[in-house]
Amino acid sequence: MSDVPFRSGRSLLASRSLLALYGLLVVGLPLAGLAYALLGSVGLAGPLAAGFTGRYWQALGTDKDLLYAALYSGWVAGASVGISTALALLLVLRAQPTLRRWPLPGLLYVPLLMPSLVVGFYLFQLLSRTGWLSRISFRLGLIPRLESFPELVQDGAGIGIILAHVLLTFPFFTLLFRAIYQETRLDEYRQLTLTLGASRGQFRRRVAGPVLLRRAAPTLLLSFIATLGAYDIPLLLGRPYPQMLSVYIATRLQRFDLRELPAAYLAGFLVAAGLLGLISLLLRLIRQTQVR
Amino acid sequence: MRSRLLITLLLLLFGLPFGLLGLLAVGEHWRFPAALPPAYSLDALRSLLAADNDLLLGLGRSLLLAGTVALLATAGGFGLARAITRSRWATRWEAASYLPYALPPVLLAVLIQPFVIRLHLSGSVGGVLLGLLLVALPFATLLLRSFWSAQITEYEHLARTLGCTPRQAMRRVLLPLAGPLLRTTLVQTFLLSWFDFGLTNVLSVGKVHTLTVQVFAYVGEANAQLAAVASLLLLLPPAVLLLLNKSALLRKP
Repeated sequence: MSDVPFRSGRSLLASRSLLALYGLLVVGLPLAGLAYALLGSVGLAGPLAAGFTGRYWQALGTDKDLLYAALYSGWVAGASVGISTALALLLVLRAQPTLRRWPLPGLLYVPLLMPSLVVGFYLFQLLSRTGWLSRISFRLGLIPRLESFPELVQDGAGIGIILAHVLLTFPFFTLLFRAIYQETRLDEYRQLTLTLGASRGQFRRRVAGPVLLRRAAPTLLLSFIATLGAYDIPLLLGRPYPQMLSVYIATRLQRFDLRELPAAYLAGFLVAAGLLGLISLLLRLIRQTQVR
Repeated sequence: MRSRLLITLLLLLFGLPFGLLGLLAVGEHWRFPAALPPAYSLDALRSLLAADNDLLLGLGRSLLLAGTVALLATAGGFGLARAITRSRWATRWEAASYLPYALPPVLLAVLIQPFVIRLHLSGSVGGVLLGLLLVALPFATLLLRSFWSAQITEYEHLARTLGCTPRQAMRRVLLPLAGPLLRTTLVQTFLLSWFDFGLTNVLSVGKVHTLTVQVFAYVGEANAQLAAVASLLLLLPPAVLLLLNKSALLRKP
């Protein structure tokens, strides 16, 4: 930088010390944790470490729980982000004037103030078989008994978890798409494409949709990763099997049987490494978007 | 017509959580198949005023923890963002800042837990504070990086040329310029900590009873009324922040 004239040796030293401490905290500690998990998974660290062993890694071939947890998390994250994106695109591209009308501009911020644990608790009270919707359906004679109400929470397909994530993310995506729509002057492009003879549908499909999705891609991927590692909502609205990744790892680590620890460390290591790979992909994507 | 329908639908979608949580908080003996509570009482809300009330203590604990995290992360992030901008390896430092922010908080807590135990911080407020700072500090640093542009450096140089000491330049020039972004960072890091459940629950081993931990405990005890009261308390500070400054909720690093 060109600011050297005003930098004393003392401020340079303070700056370096601050960065060294920061590095120790944000890089050192998580990487040490990752290394500990790796060592734990081969029997070299942890309360019952008894020397090198590869049996926990070999067991990965037969133990399908981690794979199911990863696939289940991928399904939930993909469905949540996909539905939220579709809903937000629909609102921004088809209801643009309505979005500007009171009270929508403020209303869309409301889900941003809801902790995910509260949303999980609320949806459980609303959608479970003894929940509010079930009670209302029963009172209206739509269902004859408790069991007739569809299983919407703690279900195998993760409907409750997906609904909770959609409720939290689609308003945020709507605000994001609306901001990009204004920033990229898509309204002017709309006038131009209509003048050139395109239909409104063609403008939405061929111009606005791709522009919004490309600009929002890093945030969408970030949301996918965040949902992949979600904990609070699946803990309340999920089943004991299959579990989402964070719940699966935390549950295995909190079991009383210490012999389970190496397998849990292995799962933690693999998931963390996988997510870091995804994040590096995201960073590359952000850089490419900036270059464009 | 279609526009009104959409507004009504969204009002219902976002208003219903408050309505249902409110009903659960004041409803008495509300069991299946009753669609509405047979009786209403403000006892659960009134009990909040008692000095030894668990929820009130949880609220205070959460406010103190989230406030401390927000202050430390914002102040630290401001200095760190400046140090990173001036560093020769600014891009590498920026990439490194994504590391803890990239991992789910629970996974991060699981990874650092052996070291927190060795530091004798497991199950303590200090351990939770360390864990939360591990997420909030890089978040604040990344958010505040945009402030330290070449133009800001020039303003600082100008102030120094005109006779300001480094401290005066910071107090009279840089801090007022950074004001809006610092407020946004304070709000966001506060909310980051306020909303957290997983990291706190793992690192505190259930011993630090913040409001989110209490909500989960009440759900586990099937005490829907107290869980609803705690949930409403959790919604209170973000609602106030939303009323004060809604743009502060949206900005991303």
